[in-house]
Amino acid sequence: MDEITQAPTRIVGGSASRLDAAAKVTGQARYADDLSFPGMLYVKVIRSDRPHARVTALDLSRVEAHPQVVCVVTPGDIPGENVVPIIYRDMPLLAEGRVRYVGEPLALLAARTPEAAEEAARLARVTYEDLPAVLDPLEAIREGAPQVAVPQAAEAGNIFNHMVIRKGDVGQGFSQADVVVEGEYRVGYQEHAYLEPQGVIAVPEEGGMAIYGTLQCPYYVQNAVAAVLGLPLSKVRVVQTATGGGFGGKEDVPSQLAALAAVVAAKSGRPTKLVYDRAEDIISTSKRHPGVIRYRTGAKRDGTLVAVEVEFYYNAGAYQTLSSAVLWRGLVHAPGPYRIPNVKVDAYSVATNTVPCGAFRGFGSPQVIFAHESQMDELANRLGMDPLELRKKNALREGDETATGQRLTESVGLLAAIERARELSDWENLRREAEEFNRRERFRRRGVGVSTVMYGVGMGAKAPLLDKAGAYVKLEADGSVTVAVGNTEMGQGAITVLGQIAAEALGVRLSDVQLAPVDTSRVPDSGPTVASRTTTVAGAAVLDAASQLRARVEAAAREFFGSQRVEIADGKVWPKDRPRDAKPLSEVARWMWAHNWDLGATGWAQGAPVDWDPKTGQGNAYFVYAYACHIAEVEVDLLTGETHVTRFWAVHDSGKIVNPALARGQVAGGIAQGIGYALMEELRSEDGRIVAPSFTGYHIPTAMDVPGQYVIEFVEAPYSGGPYGAKGLGEVPLMAAHAAVANALSRATGGRLREYPAIPERVLGLVRGER
Amino acid sequence: MRKTGPARIVRPRDLSEAVRLVAEGGRPLAGGTDLFVRLRREVEDPPFLVYLGELPELQGIELREDGAVVGAAVTHAKLLRSEVAERLPILRLALSTIGAPAIREMGTLAGNVANASPAGDGLIPLYLLEARVLLAGPQGERELPVEEFVLGPGKTALKEGEIIRSLFLPFPEGEPRSYFRKVGRRRALLIAVASLGGLVWLQDGVVEQARLALGSVAPTVLRPREVEQELVGKPLDPQVLAPLAEKLSQLVQPITDLRASASYRREVAGKLLLDLAVSLAG
Ligand SMILES: Cc1cc2nc3c(=O)[nH]c(=O)nc-3n(C[C@H](O)[C@H](O)[C@H](O)COP(=O)(O)OP(=O)(O)OC[C@H]3O[C@@H](n4cnc5c(N)ncnc54)[C@H](O)[C@@H]3O)c2cc1C
Repeated sequence: MDEITQAPTRIVGGSASRLDAAAKVTGQARYADDLSFPGMLYVKVIRSDRPHARVTALDLSRVEAHPQVVCVVTPGDIPGENVVPIIYRDMPLLAEGRVRYVGEPLALLAARTPEAAEEAARLARVTYEDLPAVLDPLEAIREGAPQVAVPQAAEAGNIFNHMVIRKGDVGQGFSQADVVVEGEYRVGYQEHAYLEPQGVIAVPEEGGMAIYGTLQCPYYVQNAVAAVLGLPLSKVRVVQTATGGGFGGKEDVPSQLAALAAVVAAKSGRPTKLVYDRAEDIISTSKRHPGVIRYRTGAKRDGTLVAVEVEFYYNAGAYQTLSSAVLWRGLVHAPGPYRIPNVKVDAYSVATNTVPCGAFRGFGSPQVIFAHESQMDELANRLGMDPLELRKKNALREGDETATGQRLTESVGLLAAIERARELSDWENLRREAEEFNRRERFRRRGVGVSTVMYGVGMGAKAPLLDKAGAYVKLEADGSVTVAVGNTEMGQGAITVLGQIAAEALGVRLSDVQLAPVDTSRVPDSGPTVASRTTTVAGAAVLDAASQLRARVEAAAREFFGSQRVEIADGKVWPKDRPRDAKPLSEVARWMWAHNWDLGATGWAQGAPVDWDPKTGQGNAYFVYAYACHIAEVEVDLLTGETHVTRFWAVHDSGKIVNPALARGQVAGGIAQGIGYALMEELRSEDGRIVAPSFTGYHIPTAMDVPGQYVIEFVEAPYSGGPYGAKGLGEVPLMAAHAAVANALSRATGGRLREYPAIPERVLGLVRGER
Repeated sequence: MRKTGPARIVRPRDLSEAVRLVAEGGRPLAGGTDLFVRLRREVEDPPFLVYLGELPELQGIELREDGAVVGAAVTHAKLLRSEVAERLPILRLALSTIGAPAIREMGTLAGNVANASPAGDGLIPLYLLEARVLLAGPQGERELPVEEFVLGPGKTALKEGEIIRSLFLPFPEGEPRSYFRKVGRRRALLIAVASLGGLVWLQDGVVEQARLALGSVAPTVLRPREVEQELVGKPLDPQVLAPLAEKLSQLVQPITDLRASASYRREVAGKLLLDLAVSLAG
């Protein structure tokens, strides 16, 4: 394997076009809502319209009487457990007696047409006895606040989890500081806005259940469906349909949808489809956690950081779902990519009577990154230092220790990224240009901002058991290759990248490689498609399988050619000393098949060991980190407060980049999503109800809102544990982008942005010097 | 919640049949970019829809000496590609901000007028040009200035059975400078939080005549005639115009909604006049 890693690559590192491009461009790709099964019914969820209430009566008689309704399901009909098992088991599949958020499922119906299902759902009569509701995390932790959290799932009251980092002694650290900055930062929801809303179909089959759906984590879904149906895992089969975006939104939520559809399918004995429209999706599914984040940062006069103290509260919503994991990533990422001797972090996730929040690209880190990167800029202002210089001074280097006491032994490309971003943007000149512009212009101001981030690749020490992957690679008798993994393509390019790794390792062309459809009964378990782990961990498993297979093909080819040494590349095989005798791999494959060679290989990979002490927050949190430095230039209109990002530079270290075109796509998308987070995305609620659940009310950036000019580059600090040196990339661009925009905006206005999103109204406040 | 049953759509053969169907209670349908949103939200539930989009009588764009006649079925995109948009920069500036390319290909200027939204971007140039709305109904045809046609948010002077047949856009005399700006948190697919359009005739650096129209800051698009008058004789200098900007802010009657607060709208309405000054002075 080492040999392969170091050899120059042919396919890895090249910008092959996506394997799924043709199917998607021509409309052949089949999404969940495109599928239909004979006798299929349409499911509609009857939901709570109260944030917190006792349900005193649930009258479904008129629903049942609807001529098109075939089946109605209440908690008593659930054959297994009434639970959506995620990390905890506090969330019921159907609320029994008590509802904790607006939109919580109460009952289900299935009708012959979607229209009838819609109509029948309105006939449900629910009688509530309202309970006091609490919607704000800071209020929910006050003495005497209504109890929202299911007690077994909470550490105390409504505090689901409290996690800490304790390193050094912050008291002493701050006493050595020449300058201390302090601030409170607030962020609201961010909605995933995937193109394709949530959707599943449950199909009863031979004593079990098949699930087809748009999803990221087939094994999570399998687990949830088995639990609610009381079936062994082997009787539940999950098939991923073409998936129109996930961004974390399809990490845990599909488990809920699949379990809902499955109990109706089990009762009715018929296939059931449950597809949300946009409004239902926005109201009832996970989003990025809103948060209140407090920081204190201390530094010496020369900019050396001496202490950081952080306290933050995330609004988890009514049930745990993924909040403990989200909180943990927020905790570990709170200190930022800096050397800091004294660190104290207290992280809280809090239950409120709102829809459960969950995974979203960055997973609890963008919120604290907004805060730590703002602090760095506030510090630079106070010190009169160049903000990029300040970051460079404190940036983690190889051999340094992180805030969790982890020694970084390899693959730390942060300084290289900062340096390259400085060069590409012509940083000093850029800042000068902005100043000149500002002197010249009457009602417009430009600002330049920078951010640096680190990202722990994979699940980390909070869920180390999930960082493993199986893969199966098979050489077909005609020389084509089938690769099977349980990781999902959701638009990020996973299958192309995994295909490239297989092709590279085997010496075939990428066009010879086909990824098998993800079906839990047929592909090896390679874990969830989350945490920017697929290329690194599943890629390593594919590489393992392909390398074994290649060794076997080489052995066969030696026999076939009667030669001591053979070469394989581009789908051809030849004896090393007789390149002219090259044969297509198909001939050798055919020969192997005819001579009873085993043509399949199973690969395995697991992340390097991690460890964690929850009392001190010390340990090797992740097996490796990715890094980035982003620079944004924005222009603010002083008359209206409108802000536009004019230019952008993004430099990433994600180790070896397997497919630069796809990687650039990830970065460009992350920049857009970051612009949305910082400047416009806002989901308002009133009394626990999301008021405008549509894209008319929730603004995401359009093609007109992204910078006209942007530069994306990679500095590759290879990771020895990743295939060909690759680390993760997926989440990092979003994490870095919004903070660079926020810093640029603050600089342009002369104020300090402390709350997202910076809508024009808020920006005018900054211009006027309001906080 | 989602509208479930598809609305029945009737296709009239000609204008007179269209008028008859509308008189029977049918709802006119052009591009559907407003109407389908409303049907889906179930804010209205007409018995059937009368599709006007392909009626031959409503298609044309006719250039006359004194202005342009724009058929009611003409889409924003078609208008933007026409000579009218070249003759009327104010129309081009405003229409090119409507929605996004796909919406402009479907939506019509007449639909924008009939929709009578205070945020209707198409209304701004029509108010500035003092356009007239030609109506066809059971009693024959009649014509109204656009300002008299629009009565309030979603309210128009359309009588039972009447439809818009065309719009008449007079060519302004002389060579006014055109200004249009709409404000919001993004640059496309945006319903204006506040907007200002202007036609300004300059003579020797001072304003000879001015027309202004404000969107999204009152129940209808607003022509602040007092401010227009006071602009006359003044240079386009933000410092000089600051008191007028203040006055403009006081004049508007904005509301608070999800997109912005009334106080922000009020402030921006005035400040846009300063932006107009800077943009048109050059
Ligand atoms: C995504 C999106 C973005 C948008 N962005 C903008 C924007 O930026 N600015 C803006 O101003 N608008 C915007 N709109 C609204 C809409 O596109 C415009 O108002 C458009 O001009 C409406 O024209 P239409 O032909 O689609 O009207 P329709 O939806 O067909 O009709 C609108 C109304 O007018 C009536 N009507 C239509 N034709 C006639 C007629 N000839 N006689 C009598 N009544 C008639 C209909 O009965 C209905 O009440 C947007 C809409 C969408 C969906």
